[in-house]
Amino acid sequence: MTWLTWRQFRGQFLVGLAVLAVVAAFLLYLGFRMRHVYDTDVAGCVAADGCDVTLARNTFANEYGELVTMPAILLMVLPLLVGLFWGTPLVTREFENHTHRLVWNQSVTRRRWLAVKLAMVGSAAVLVTGAVSGLLTWAASRYDAVLGSRFGELSFATRNIVPLGYAAFAFALAVTIGLVVRRTVRAMAVTLLAVAVLQILIPGLARGHVLPPVTRSVAYDAGVPDNGGRLAIRREGPVLVTGYVIPGALKLSTNEKLLTATGGETDTATIRPCLGATSSVQREADPNGGQDPIEACVAGLNLHFDVTYQPADRYWSFQRLEFGGFLVLAGLSCAVALWRVRRLTG
Amino acid sequence: MTSVLRARRLTKIYGRRPGLTDADLDIPAGRVVGLVGPNGAGKSTLLGLSCGLIEPSAGSIEVLGERPGTRAAQLARVGFVAQDTPLYPGLTVAEHLRLGARLNPGWDDKLARRRVQQIGLDLAQRAGRLSGGQRAQLALTIAVAKRPELLIFDEPVAALDPLARWQFLQNLMEFVSELAVTVVLSSHLLGDVERVCDHLVLLSASRVRLSGAVDDLVDEHFRVVVGREDLDRLPSGAEVVHAEHKGGQSTLVVRRTGPAFLPHAERINLEDMVLAYMTGVQR
Repeated sequence: MTWLTWRQFRGQFLVGLAVLAVVAAFLLYLGFRMRHVYDTDVAGCVAADGCDVTLARNTFANEYGELVTMPAILLMVLPLLVGLFWGTPLVTREFENHTHRLVWNQSVTRRRWLAVKLAMVGSAAVLVTGAVSGLLTWAASRYDAVLGSRFGELSFATRNIVPLGYAAFAFALAVTIGLVVRRTVRAMAVTLLAVAVLQILIPGLARGHVLPPVTRSVAYDAGVPDNGGRLAIRREGPVLVTGYVIPGALKLSTNEKLLTATGGETDTATIRPCLGATSSVQREADPNGGQDPIEACVAGLNLHFDVTYQPADRYWSFQRLEFGGFLVLAGLSCAVALWRVRRLTG
Repeated sequence: MTSVLRARRLTKIYGRRPGLTDADLDIPAGRVVGLVGPNGAGKSTLLGLSCGLIEPSAGSIEVLGERPGTRAAQLARVGFVAQDTPLYPGLTVAEHLRLGARLNPGWDDKLARRRVQQIGLDLAQRAGRLSGGQRAQLALTIAVAKRPELLIFDEPVAALDPLARWQFLQNLMEFVSELAVTVVLSSHLLGDVERVCDHLVLLSASRVRLSGAVDDLVDEHFRVVVGREDLDRLPSGAEVVHAEHKGGQSTLVVRRTGPAFLPHAERINLEDMVLAYMTGVQR
């Protein structure tokens, strides 16, 4: 069975390898290039006296943002592509050519026939996806370090081991759907929809709730604006902190309400003294350096806000959980396929 | 006499349409069985059930003493060639032989290669580029070289021209005499059935109408011409299969079920007998 599986899969595998080679060449180039630029521009800036490190880091992140995002998007849809072009035809082509009636009447049970196909081509799917993931993780490591958002939706799903779980799942699901639907194009359409929802859409939404999140009270002080937190002062309602980030963490709360020391809600009245203390002239005189006078004033009012998040040190737990979860789903899908194949009408 | 195939009240229903209804069959070993009947009578269903491609809805079937298609060892004992003789279009003739060798422990490679040579197939040719006759021959070779005890063919010659058909059947008969194998083949070409088969199963409207050795069956059937008024006075040991009325006379095809005396009974051939059943039922 291994020989026949390999013989049938050979052509598609070689095409896949050719695509992999192109992607790998690009990622190798990108990785070495980014390392070089990082060493001279960012690390060099840190070493040099009087260099604006933040500016150097931002420039680096901006320059390579697109070049890292493009392969990441490719890797995000790679499991789907592998499922559609390797998984679906694995069984539907047999049904369409009626060759299942040839191969199911050799001295090999259907279950073994399917198991060998799933194991061999599935391994290839996981290995190819793993190669791209490994290369991207390596290539983007300087960029990820500068950005510090490993929990970002796209970066989390396209680094380390999570893509391997996706690949196993999308492939197994594609084969199972092919077995039930039996027509290549129809099976592809169903698979496209199912994988887009289950692998591309849902993980980003559900990830934050896989483990119970941590809630922490953050004092509103000078450090908050440094982490992106801006005040949103509205005519009515509580004052909000927007855009606050915890480096490396997966933040679940957004637009946190600013609270008083006793835990009461703030409103415009609470910070009115600070609004009066500001003049537009002062702000224009000092457009980007230093601190916003309103924020500096509010920082002295002893206010705080609560953030809910998954801490940065849970990154690998989350990688393992998501990888394992999708591996389990892949296993379930295979089990359904292996059960189903025995009952199919030839 | 051991049964190669044994079915009891075997039934297959597709949705609400019956594919096969309450079939009771015993096929003895060593026969060449012709399965005949009009299109949609259930021939493919019966063959699919026999090789395990189709699961019965009710009733039971045993092929070589086991439920078909469940174990690799059972699969090894049955060779099946599906309708339109499916092959992998991208694989060459040699690769198909390799497939057979890889997937069948009892593969007879010498036999396969000798046959392919006799048929004149080019080993490097892709199956997708073979003619219909060559495809059928290759499919036959693969099914035979796994050395099964039972060979099943679903309309193997339906799509072939007369020469290819003749060659295919010739080849098949050579295998049968060489390998002592039981064969079941479906066909709507009664001439072919008459030429190669010694056992007949007749299906019509999803039911088994007739099953037995060809010679016995032909011996039991007669054509009788009677006056219309005598129609009700037939002897008790005769069963009317088919009746045709013209003027005051009726031409009957009857099956003798007991020691009945049939005056002016004429013997009929296999083809007329089968046609009598098919039209008789349709009427």
